[in-house]
Amino acid sequence: MKIALLFVAVAVPVCTFAQDKAPAVKNASSGKIRRDAEGRPDLSGIWQGIGVSLFGETGEVRPGEGRASTWGPPPGPPPYQDWALAKVKELASDDRKDPTVQCKMAGTPRVTGIPVPLEIAQTAKKTYILYETNHIFRIIPTDGRPHPEELDPTYMGDSIGHWDGDTFVVDVTGFNDKTWLPGAGHFHSEDLHVVERYTLQPNDTILYEATMEDPKVFTKPWQYRLILRHPPRDERIMEAECQENNQDLQHIVPGTSEYHP
Amino acid sequence: MRVRLFLALSGILFVAASAFAHHSFGAEYDSAKPISLTGVVTKIDWSNPHVYIYIDVKGADGQLVSWALEGHPPNTLRRTGWTKAALKENDTITVTGWMSKDGSNRIAGREVTLPDGKKLFLGPPAQ
Repeated sequence: MKIALLFVAVAVPVCTFAQDKAPAVKNASSGKIRRDAEGRPDLSGIWQGIGVSLFGETGEVRPGEGRASTWGPPPGPPPYQDWALAKVKELASDDRKDPTVQCKMAGTPRVTGIPVPLEIAQTAKKTYILYETNHIFRIIPTDGRPHPEELDPTYMGDSIGHWDGDTFVVDVTGFNDKTWLPGAGHFHSEDLHVVERYTLQPNDTILYEATMEDPKVFTKPWQYRLILRHPPRDERIMEAECQENNQDLQHIVPGTSEYHP
Repeated sequence: MRVRLFLALSGILFVAASAFAHHSFGAEYDSAKPISLTGVVTKIDWSNPHVYIYIDVKGADGQLVSWALEGHPPNTLRRTGWTKAALKENDTITVTGWMSKDGSNRIAGREVTLPDGKKLFLGPPAQ
């Protein structure tokens, strides 16, 4: 395998799991986790799953270095229906077809694994997630309101949040079909439905899990898990524009990317 | 269980992490063609999604040849020790990296050695 990561910007599927049941998360209910004024775990802060600024020079997760970016059981390929597999392979063979290489928003949950920081700002009735990549933001109401009755399709979907014990649960729907799920070529339909779970741990990490359902392309739900950590330095979300000088589209040689399910 | 999980993950993590980024290395560059060049900086494009540094390199025939070095985006370079003032036009630098697949004079930059000998990260290694 002679491919290496080059450059930041797109979700790295360090953690992709195919299974029916999520492993039990040990909720950090001992009181040793940070809590907000209302007693909920306080997710506010700068977080990152992978990337250069998190793990040193390259940011790549290497086996045996004791800094896993994943948790839970081993990954497996996304459970695509038979008809969809050929399309996945075809999309994955040409980087020019990757929406993020085209500088489009990464979509949910792929955005969580993009190797640059994100910031969570938790307030009484809304939680905000500010992503450095493409300056994406999500506003997640936590006041009990449902999704709007009629949703236009969007890249990041419509999010509503609630607390399941000490786990922040975000329901996301109303997607377009222009983004990929974590991984190369992992397309989805507008019927994608994502449930994210953010569980703060006593060691001040977040166990992140996204369950993706898409009855038009999957045979069963698929899960993606990351450990979100604070970057080692006093990080700030920086400006990141993607379109400015994107020469990749004109220099990519199609058919030379390798597909790893 | 812990051992089994580690073994299961170890075979997959690096492959998965290496295969996808803004674009994969293999989509533009050839890991079998490493290159090292010394030249004079003619232009610095501190741009997104990739920084470009242009240098003139004197060939064996004495002619100057322009090369473009592609690097990580500005934010990443900032976090690995760069400042915009670290490099300026007319500096003589040595760069390592890998040549492009399309035959153009472009390099996936790995490391830049500045005039004072300091080395700065420009991009990850080819794997």
